[in-house]
Amino acid sequence: MKTAGSEEGVKTGDKKDADRAVVVAVTSRAVFECGADDDEVYKVGAAFPLLQALQRVNERLLEENPAEALLFDVVLITTDRQQQQQSSSIISSTRHHGLEVSRFCFSSEEDFIESLLKNNVQLFLSTDGGEALQASQKGVLSALLDRQTASCPSEQLRVLFCGDAVIQPDTGPTPASRQAAQSFSAQLGEMRRKFSVFDSPLSIVMVTSRGGRESCCAALLALRSRGVSVDEAYCLAGAPRGPILSLLRPHFLLRDGFSSLDE
Amino acid sequence: MSLNTGQTLTVSGQDLTRNGSSSGSSSGRAPWEDARMVLKPSTPSRKPKPPKPENAITIAVSSRVLFNMEKEQQIYEQQGMEDYIKYQVEHETEPFSPGPAFSFVKALEAVNTRLRELYPESEELFDVVLMTNNHAYVGLRLINTINHHQLFIERFCMTGGNSPIGYLKAYHTNLYLSADPLKVREALEEGIAAATMFTPEKMKEVSDTQLRVAFDGDAVLFSDESERIFKAHGLDKFFEHEKAHENKPLDHGPLKGFLEALGKLQKKFYGKGQRMDCPIRTYLVTARSAASSGTRALKTLRSWGLEIDEALFLAGAPKGPMLEKIRPHIFFDDQMFHVEGAAEMGTVACHVPYGIAQRVTKKGIMDKEISSGPK
Repeated sequence: MKTAGSEEGVKTGDKKDADRAVVVAVTSRAVFECGADDDEVYKVGAAFPLLQALQRVNERLLEENPAEALLFDVVLITTDRQQQQQSSSIISSTRHHGLEVSRFCFSSEEDFIESLLKNNVQLFLSTDGGEALQASQKGVLSALLDRQTASCPSEQLRVLFCGDAVIQPDTGPTPASRQAAQSFSAQLGEMRRKFSVFDSPLSIVMVTSRGGRESCCAALLALRSRGVSVDEAYCLAGAPRGPILSLLRPHFLLRDGFSSLDE
Repeated sequence: MSLNTGQTLTVSGQDLTRNGSSSGSSSGRAPWEDARMVLKPSTPSRKPKPPKPENAITIAVSSRVLFNMEKEQQIYEQQGMEDYIKYQVEHETEPFSPGPAFSFVKALEAVNTRLRELYPESEELFDVVLMTNNHAYVGLRLINTINHHQLFIERFCMTGGNSPIGYLKAYHTNLYLSADPLKVREALEEGIAAATMFTPEKMKEVSDTQLRVAFDGDAVLFSDESERIFKAHGLDKFFEHEKAHENKPLDHGPLKGFLEALGKLQKKFYGKGQRMDCPIRTYLVTARSAASSGTRALKTLRSWGLEIDEALFLAGAPKGPMLEKIRPHIFFDDQMFHVEGAAEMGTVACHVPYGIAQRVTKKGIMDKEISSGPK
């Protein structure tokens, strides 16, 4: 195993078929509670159940088809110099907690976006809003993780689509990030189809916050045209989101472009 | 179509047509009110905004009580989930026909229309939420059906198999109606008024301008404390006991809150001089007798500050024929014997699985223990 410089990845585990894998990058600060400099092994952080859920999806996909190539390819990325220098602790912590990470990217503030692009990252997950926004502006689909994510179930990956955004995409993000959102959701849809209605390790949830049933209907159809079949749909028509979201326990929320769970 | 938050229309285009053609509601209005209605902008595509859940009286209904899904239910039971979903998706553009809760929901909407006329700024309205265990695959067919029947339902939860209880609470649900007795029990245990709705073989026609709700007394509006005496010692002892404790209010039952909510809306009509023409009417249909045990029931209601429009004391006689005369949109009872009796005569009857009647078979008198109900 090679220890690489700031931009090259370090491969551990099996190489995933580059064309079919769904590359998801998670920041080290989201995965671990980074302690003192001389700590060998860190405690797990907010994104830990999420990573376990991603792993569970992979395991089940391989159960259905041992030759499956459409799998999650998890990349652990550092986004600041301090973390960059903790590379060996990060690697040993990953091993210690049994996380399946296929690549590490030890980047800093200046070049992490480049790393994301070079590694064909399709979804970038961070607990830092600034990082997520930056990445999104460069066309990388991003989602913000928060404390809530830490308490989400690890047995089932729960992805939340925002119905209002599906039919009225934000004016903010670039066409590139909209495209990224569409292709990621199409892949997610394809993964979902490999499981039956019951006992799926992946659940696709849609919430229409502002709109009523017309919006919900349009969003369901739009997602269906992308190859995404929704498992659970909630139409709020202006009712408060908070109580419903806390019941739904999504791991992350997808809007076209930048996503935040606590809008 | 997105909801327009900028304007509040007091009458939507849809309602203009309905009010124009309905016979019952125009008598109470002054001539200038009629003229004002004609002059209001008629924008058929504009819908009134749904009220905030904490202000509204939220009625959650499952898909199987709102619509007739018998055929699909059979497919699910006999052929399994995959075939069920396949069938639903294939028939996505075919609307379901109305189920037992349908006319109840229509009546709720009629009340809302009247409330919006009198109190255009108020959010004290009924809000109907579709609360279904179905997966969102079935969602499009449900939405198409709601559109087809022109129901005003803008909120729903399609939980894809997860429990609805949390969502019921999140919506401050005042009443939950479902075909599934297990969910109803769960809701009751969480303090949410709930009842299992059954489909009568033949549904009698009901009013589309006046909402009529009928309640049993013991173990529905009131607690089951007196029912326990009845079960243990029989009817005569029950009457004696009630007479002796006439002035002691009974404890409240699971549907007291719903009666209270109806009463609150009724007062809004009385406040505008519409007592005679009130589009909400409530009934107590009880086995208690007017001569003895009935007084305690009425005094209890009074002590709660609640009114009931008509109290029918049957002294143990069957409820079916009385209900057939009243024609309520919905009738609540804790005993399956009465629920079935009502349904046989065409009343939409709901079972409230609460209290002693669920555990004890009455001695000597025909009664049934709780069954799981039709699927």
